[in-house]
Amino acid sequence: MARRTTKIRNERRAKFVIATLYALGGLVVVAWLVTRESFPPIGLWLAFAAAFAFFDWRSVEVNDRLLLSPTIMVGLTAAVAFGPGHAALGVATMAALGAVSARDVKERRLFQPVANFGQLVVTSAAMGLVLEFFLKHAEAGGTGAFWLWLAAGSAAAALVNAAVNFAMVIIAVRTVFGQDLRMWSHMNELLPSYLGMGFIGGLLGATLLQARVVLPLVFVVFIIGYHAFASFGQLREAHAATLRGFVKALEAKDLYTRGHTERVAEFSVLCAQHMGFTGTRLERIEWAALIHDVGKLAVPRDLIRKPGKLSSEEYSELQRHAHAVEDILAEVEFLRPMVEIASAHHSNYDGSGYGGVGHIEGEEPSLEASILAVADAFDAMTSTRSYRMALSQSYAFTELRRNAGKQFHPEVVEHFIAAIGETKRRYGSPFLNDPEEARRMAEGRVESRG
Amino acid sequence: MGDPKLSIKSPLVPFLGAVASALIAVLLYPHAAASPLTLGIWAVLLAESGLVKVPAGSGNRLSLAFIIGAAMPILLIDGTQPDLASTGLVYAAGLLVLGVARVIRGDGLEHVHADVMRLGVGLGVYAVTYAAIADILVTGGGLAWVDAPWDRLIAFVGAGAVWFIVEAGLWAIMTTRERGLSWRYLWLLGLGDWMVMLSMMATGALFGFSWEKLHIWAVLVAALPYGFAHVAFFRYLEARRTYGQTIRALSRIPEVAGLALEGHSDRTSSLAVETAQDLGLTPGEVTDVRYAALMHDIGRITLNEPSILRRGFTDEDIARWGAEIVAESPYLATVAGLVARQHEPYRRPGEQRDPSLPTASKIIKAASAYDHATMELGFSPLEGLEVLHRGAAYDYDPDVVVAVRRVLERRGAV
Repeated sequence: MARRTTKIRNERRAKFVIATLYALGGLVVVAWLVTRESFPPIGLWLAFAAAFAFFDWRSVEVNDRLLLSPTIMVGLTAAVAFGPGHAALGVATMAALGAVSARDVKERRLFQPVANFGQLVVTSAAMGLVLEFFLKHAEAGGTGAFWLWLAAGSAAAALVNAAVNFAMVIIAVRTVFGQDLRMWSHMNELLPSYLGMGFIGGLLGATLLQARVVLPLVFVVFIIGYHAFASFGQLREAHAATLRGFVKALEAKDLYTRGHTERVAEFSVLCAQHMGFTGTRLERIEWAALIHDVGKLAVPRDLIRKPGKLSSEEYSELQRHAHAVEDILAEVEFLRPMVEIASAHHSNYDGSGYGGVGHIEGEEPSLEASILAVADAFDAMTSTRSYRMALSQSYAFTELRRNAGKQFHPEVVEHFIAAIGETKRRYGSPFLNDPEEARRMAEGRVESRG
Repeated sequence: MGDPKLSIKSPLVPFLGAVASALIAVLLYPHAAASPLTLGIWAVLLAESGLVKVPAGSGNRLSLAFIIGAAMPILLIDGTQPDLASTGLVYAAGLLVLGVARVIRGDGLEHVHADVMRLGVGLGVYAVTYAAIADILVTGGGLAWVDAPWDRLIAFVGAGAVWFIVEAGLWAIMTTRERGLSWRYLWLLGLGDWMVMLSMMATGALFGFSWEKLHIWAVLVAALPYGFAHVAFFRYLEARRTYGQTIRALSRIPEVAGLALEGHSDRTSSLAVETAQDLGLTPGEVTDVRYAALMHDIGRITLNEPSILRRGFTDEDIARWGAEIVAESPYLATVAGLVARQHEPYRRPGEQRDPSLPTASKIIKAASAYDHATMELGFSPLEGLEVLHRGAAYDYDPDVVVAVRRVLERRGAV
């Protein structure tokens, strides 16, 4: 307990240090810019500041943890429209408005907005300065050269923005939580959108310079793009919530498997992250885990819960139901790859085992299916079932290692054990290491209840 | 879907249309200020853009001609005045080229004619409205209080809105027979495409305004933001389709588990949707009916619980369990509400109608009962309908029953 308190205190101190440093950095940057540049026309600044704040307060989560918001586009449009001698100061002060989010106000967070202020001001100022450097060259050249300089400048400015932003987030997270964020590994997904948004922003800014009348049209385009992305994000959330809700509602009916799906999903994601999965692949494995037992949910309950072995007739009945549900889910295009993973989670590493569409006899199952198999087996061992009590985590680890190379993928097993170890949580019984004893205890409980 | 069919079968009609547009082009030529080369390039570009179509949420397919068409009166100016003769000429010539190109592509004369005519009416309305607004703002009645480029923006906004409303209306009228839905419903559906339309028209205007200064770079300025909005919008449409698929798939789980009749939710849903459309529910409400009807029996999944089978259950239990499952998703709260009340009678003995009972729930109750009678009890469609009529004292709202009857008559079942 004492250690925990110290940890929290350290965390608070680190937060305080980061927030102060970043905010001071932001103030210094603004002060320096004030001595160097003059403020852009107030009307133009207000219009852009309003748009910037609007988008910044409602960033949309588009692809797992990738936060996509058109602010960088608005920032660059504004920077070009303000022009050299105003851009850095104008954009930095604009960005400062986005520091306080609605959530900060609701949860009364203090450090977050203060640190955000510094981060936003520094990143925007860096972006503005880079752009100004290019714009000066652009204005010196002819029309063709102007556009080339502008394109290069907005791309470079967007990149600098991303780099400074990432660096500041990584430093903050490492100082406060002692964790390393592997943000750079997302670069291949983030880079095109940063570059694209930066480029569009620069172009629109240049158009604005030529004809003010396009300002409302530019905002309309921004808003539609944002609106479409937001609706898309919302729909994805709705989709996820619906499927998750169904699975939860269905499995809640069975005392013994309650929470199993959610746990297997959590373990699978932990393991996959440890193996370096990101983005769509990671998301896919989570979905596969969520639906891996849906087939069983449609099977008569007395069949699933029946203590002891099933007769071969009962077993094939169970398989038939499970496969029928899999077939239905496979009709959903989006779910098809997940159903394949899910249906192969009883395939063994050596090519034996059973399964639906995803299982091919004699072939090594996909890495995703192997992860799901390990996670499923681990949760099965460490939770109580109708026929046996929960076993200990160390027993489950030994058992996974013992079957590695035959039933389980050996590398996946090692990654899995390391990933669970990193969570510092313990699953299963603290002491039960003998499956026979666990079985006897479960039977004893049935007898004593009867 | 979407492509309208016209009852006008005679090949003479499209021929006359072609002659008319050629005539308009020839008559306008002496008044056009732009050079023949400029006019030709824009006309070809308009035709070209008309060949590319993008699907919208309603099922209508909108061509990129909305972008180029919207840009024309903004872009073609004679001094400070809008050059309407040039605009009209570009429209007429562009439509002619588009029609010929589509016929050569083998799109079918009827389709081409209906499509080109719809586009032509829209463009005409747009140009006339634009001219009227611009005239008032620039020259007419002492209202010249707007500075030079802003009057064009206002004219564009007004004319664009009129064009959009007319386009949705024309699409509704032209597809009402094919889709078997009232044109009012389809019009509302078409107006739901405002986002795609706005993104296209705004892109066109952006192009028009930046052309003057940026020339060829204006293409990039307009194309990039449009591409961004376009991609975002398609991902949205795709996600919406997948969402529907998922709900449909989930609704079939009790059926494959042998706890409900195979295909019951699907059939109930299609009958309920058609009835809801017949009763004039809005497109948004119809979507709720579709989802709620698909999932009205999802509560049956609970029936594989042996203890429940021993205890017995009522329709109310099924509705409640179903609503509980659906309510797990916060986005389906309305649908959950409809599922929860699907078993309720529309009135009880000695009482008035229950005003709080949603029409959607009443529709689902009747549609489900009809499917039960015809598929499970083996009644003929007419006998199935009689079951509803007989139950009209308490169970089935007579208005709903009459609507079901109309739907079945349209299907040719009774």
